[in-house]
Amino acid sequence: MAEQRVVRRLSRRDFMRFSSLGLVALGLGGCVMPTAVAPAASPQPSPALKKPVTIKWAHYFDPLQSPAQKFNYAWMERMVATFEEKYPEINVEPEYFDWDKIDNRSILDYEAGIKHDVMFGSPQLMAKHFQVGDYIDLTPYIKQWPEDEVKDFSWSPVWASARQDDVQIGVPTGVHTRSVAYRRDMFKEAGLDPDTPPKTWDECLEAAKALTKGDVWGLGMYFGPSRATIELYFAPFVWHFGGELWDPATKKATFASEAGVKAAQVIYDLVYTHKVTPESAIGGTYDDAILASFLAGRLAMGWGFGSYWIVSLEEKGFIKNCFPAKAECTEETAGVMVTPTAPGAQFTNAWTLSIHKLSEHPAEAFKFLEFLIAPENLYDFPDAGLPARLSLWSKAEFQSSFYQKWLEAARKGRPMPPTVHYPELADTTAACLQEILVNKAPIAETLKKFEDEWNAKYAGA
Amino acid sequence: MPSTLERSTAFTRRPGWSLYLWRRYRLPYLLLLPVVLLLLLFLAWPLASVFYFSLRRTPLGEPSQFVGLDNFALLFREARFLGNILASLQYLVGVLGLSVPVAYLAAVLISSKVRGAGAFRTLFLLPWIIAPVVSAILFRTMVDPYTGPVARALETLTGRKYLFLVNPQLAVITIIVHSAWRSFPLEMLLIAAGLTSIPQELYDSAKVDGAGGWAQFRYVTLPLTKNQLFVAVLLITIWTLQDAEGVYSLTQGGPGYTTEVVGVRLFKEAFIYFNVGIAAAIGVVLIALSVLFMVFYLRVLGAGEGQ
Repeated sequence: MAEQRVVRRLSRRDFMRFSSLGLVALGLGGCVMPTAVAPAASPQPSPALKKPVTIKWAHYFDPLQSPAQKFNYAWMERMVATFEEKYPEINVEPEYFDWDKIDNRSILDYEAGIKHDVMFGSPQLMAKHFQVGDYIDLTPYIKQWPEDEVKDFSWSPVWASARQDDVQIGVPTGVHTRSVAYRRDMFKEAGLDPDTPPKTWDECLEAAKALTKGDVWGLGMYFGPSRATIELYFAPFVWHFGGELWDPATKKATFASEAGVKAAQVIYDLVYTHKVTPESAIGGTYDDAILASFLAGRLAMGWGFGSYWIVSLEEKGFIKNCFPAKAECTEETAGVMVTPTAPGAQFTNAWTLSIHKLSEHPAEAFKFLEFLIAPENLYDFPDAGLPARLSLWSKAEFQSSFYQKWLEAARKGRPMPPTVHYPELADTTAACLQEILVNKAPIAETLKKFEDEWNAKYAGA
Repeated sequence: MPSTLERSTAFTRRPGWSLYLWRRYRLPYLLLLPVVLLLLLFLAWPLASVFYFSLRRTPLGEPSQFVGLDNFALLFREARFLGNILASLQYLVGVLGLSVPVAYLAAVLISSKVRGAGAFRTLFLLPWIIAPVVSAILFRTMVDPYTGPVARALETLTGRKYLFLVNPQLAVITIIVHSAWRSFPLEMLLIAAGLTSIPQELYDSAKVDGAGGWAQFRYVTLPLTKNQLFVAVLLITIWTLQDAEGVYSLTQGGPGYTTEVVGVRLFKEAFIYFNVGIAAAIGVVLIALSVLFMVFYLRVLGAGEGQ
């Protein structure tokens, strides 16, 4: 009997002891925070190269998201398969993020200790990436390139955007610029010459008025809650009228200037005075408002038509032999014209490829990055838009009038202001424009109100 | 003769008394320990850290600084933030105003003995099990001005185009309907639980006293489901006040800041702009708002308790 009691007491004690130990272990395990310590960047492949390693590739290609993305997705799958065949010791694991969240994901995951390897990034946010330090310095790797290879990329403004304080944190994959896509057949129906599209803003507006009839809108634009609103619509007009969005000297927002008021007035008039742009442009998505609407025949002209959508025009049969680029490229049902704003009043960017600071295999990641930007691989990457490599521009495929117009557009382009608070600036101006448009709020006062609000928080930073 | 105090002091000072207490009561306390630790880890710590960060400026990649109440001062000086609070209150009133009556009707239906009540129960629970982002995309598709069936049907009926997510009033209505559609199943379940616990005899007695349908509802059903209603309203209030994903997926806070409720603003500050200090300050305001509503409901719905 006494023996039984002893056994029972001991087992309860043991139970409590083990439970306590387990809890302490759990607590300690849970409290150990992952440390965001960067592995030392080394141009030499790590010893792990000999063993199969897996690197992650963060992309934004959702085949269901827009008509253009399925081509990007197919390209991505082909790249992974080809690379893995060429380098069997390296596996590539794609990971998807929304295009407008991929930069934030990199930053947040860096802070949270979550590892990535190769990542797409936006040049507009390079200042932020550099401030946070979530991308590694690619300079030691790039130094091993031949000089011509560096020159082939360094002409691009995107290369410069990805260079912060002499630290290269990204490599461009193409040139994203925008044009105005127009329906040649609708031009003819409206009595306009499709071979001489508008060259000035006034001519463009007159054409839009002539083209607007029934269910067809003369000029498609987008003013929704997205970065596209500032980049492709508001900023080009502010620059067109001689203004700036942000002053690098004082680090203050300046979009409520006289030029800003004129830009907002132009946009307001398009929707409510001239009625050539649909009111639905204030909501929805950029892809729907421009690409899908243009392909569906709801727009006669689509402003802010990206070079990344050339593939969609080709698929629809609006252009022929233009993607991948061929010398015989011709504009059939649709054509493109250079955005009719003043020189330099257009936004140009591109996606960059970078390596996450927490990558455990930076050398392998850079090998994959180099593979992706090889001329033969970038050539048919739909979202490259236009060649990032200068040497490609002199090839016969890019001498057609179609591509020469894109080149002119790219030359005219400029980046967005290099403020670390760019996402806030983009959101603030989009909200401001929406306030003006949906509530018909007084333009100058509303711009000032939003500008003051932004400056109260971010001026000087 | 020693006094009671002296006796008790003598007891507590007796050697081995603490050991005796520990041996006698340790098991329940030790069994409670894991729960207490988990609560501290997942409730107290995050709550304390919200208050801590609300008093600091925390730029990414730089050390944080103590700024006192600056984050709160900045927020309350902003017309935008006051608009966020008003948008949240409007959203909350709309969601409760729409979902509670619908939930009551649905609860009556699924608690009744009509044929197909079980099928309705399953059907009504569907909105609750769909992820908010998925249902938001579903709603967006339905109200698309060119391809959405709701927008197209209304256009066919009235002859004018409905831009649900562009028109400020329609955008507010859209987020309210979406949230009410998602909220009513939970309210329905809670109210139905209350309904099934009401004895039939009470209705029979009310009928004998000459009570009609409305009088039965007012004097029998409503008072006896008040506790369930209180829990349902409180839960939905807290969820609606803190809702970010549903609204953000539908409108991103637009047009302008019309539908930028406090939860959406918090999400933007924390995860898009990385203003952790301001986001934490918004979090504190949200907690305060939730507590205010809890006290208010306790006063209003809890009044008369025990009578």
